[in-house]
Amino acid sequence: MRTSSLITWTVWKALFLREAVGRLSAGRAAWAWILLEPVVQVIFLIVLFGFVLQRLVSNIDMGLFVATGVLGFGLARNTAMRIKDAITANDTLLTYRQVLAVDTVLVRAGLEALLFLLSALCLFTGLGLLGYQIFPHDFLQVMSAFVALWLAGIGLGLILSVAAQLIPESGKVGGILLGPLYFVSGIMYPPSVIPPAYQSWFLLNPFVHGIETIRTGFFPQYHPISGVSMGYLLGFVMFTVCLGLALHVRFATRLVAK
Amino acid sequence: MIIADQVYKRYRSNHGMGKWVLQDVSFTIPPKVNVGLVGRNGAGKSTLLRLIGGIDVPTRGLVERRCRVSWPMGFGGGLAASLTGRQNAKFVCRIHGHEEDLQDRLRYIEDFAEIGEAFDKPIKTYSSGMRSRLQFGLSLAFDFDVYISDEITSTGDAAFLKKAAVAFKSLTDRAGLIMASHADGTLKEFCKAGILLHEGRAYWFDSINDALTEYRKSIDR
Repeated sequence: MRTSSLITWTVWKALFLREAVGRLSAGRAAWAWILLEPVVQVIFLIVLFGFVLQRLVSNIDMGLFVATGVLGFGLARNTAMRIKDAITANDTLLTYRQVLAVDTVLVRAGLEALLFLLSALCLFTGLGLLGYQIFPHDFLQVMSAFVALWLAGIGLGLILSVAAQLIPESGKVGGILLGPLYFVSGIMYPPSVIPPAYQSWFLLNPFVHGIETIRTGFFPQYHPISGVSMGYLLGFVMFTVCLGLALHVRFATRLVAK
Repeated sequence: MIIADQVYKRYRSNHGMGKWVLQDVSFTIPPKVNVGLVGRNGAGKSTLLRLIGGIDVPTRGLVERRCRVSWPMGFGGGLAASLTGRQNAKFVCRIHGHEEDLQDRLRYIEDFAEIGEAFDKPIKTYSSGMRSRLQFGLSLAFDFDVYISDEITSTGDAAFLKKAAVAFKSLTDRAGLIMASHADGTLKEFCKAGILLHEGRAYWFDSINDALTEYRKSIDR
């Protein structure tokens, strides 16, 4: 007789391997696209907004400025979006009683973190070879902000994954809402240029707090928008993760029942 | 032993709840008794097997499994289409806690399925017969007290049917079998008792022959 925690552990391991194989063999050279996606985004943004950024953040490397934004936001959004669809994508595996809906969601979050680490490593190595100063002055602060953004993505994804199963439309709406956040998270411009009258609105977006914290950890001379607080982001994480897990417990049978 | 107690089931759709598929279904399957499930298309055979296998939950009522029950072999699914047969087999072995003897189990499944090189090709390239072979091998690789078969034999060729027959026979010594099938011969060969599903209700017969006779009558009516 195996204990429940042992079963969960073996299910997580098996699902992780399955997800990883599925992700990396999804198309021709799927792994290359995963690694290169943030690199392409950074180049794209620098080409588009480089001349404006030059004046806005004159005291910082532009490439690193955009890279921190793209990576921070991408981690949170990709995690949320990937795990939102985890239950539907793994529908056939719910045939096995050992596999719970929440397992598929959490395992995807873990895989997303691993793929993020690899793509971030790839991007920073590239920037380093181009001569950028890629070592943050406060490594711990940068890492903890990334982890918090990842957890925020998990929290949102947990909620959306249940919502998408109960009301299919809500999954679509959630995805649509996450799109515009890209433009109000201060990725291609420093949030401090937002007029003060609107800053309190701007700071409602929890991702801003994470991205700004990453940047202050990276560049000692960076001036973040005032009012940035990791506490706000962590509060958001606590709320969404707890609510998401509670929804998974409450609707455990509904997620399996057809 | 498997107990179904006043089981009701209806499916949820985008337009609200569907009509009742099963209504007030109660029965007890004693250990090591082979049961054949008969009923016309859409009578709820697959639904009942999914409930017994624990893949789905009843809308009302209770299904109790006091033994290790397999997942339904057959059209039920359980295979990821984009992965190969071997990758799927590995996954199932892992979640059943057979990380150590993974290679032995894989060899058994590969030998049993006899699908050759296709074992290393994605499931979506399989024919329905090849899927059945793989699924059958997969569930036989583990020790269950009760095996559930949802027409696993219906898409197989003669060689597979023979193989399945030998496997079912060897199972009867150590495990029970619950099978849905439209082939009278298969049912009579392997099953002792029978359950007839008719208009959402389930009727238990101690002899499969009686169940089949009653089934014929229900069609003629």
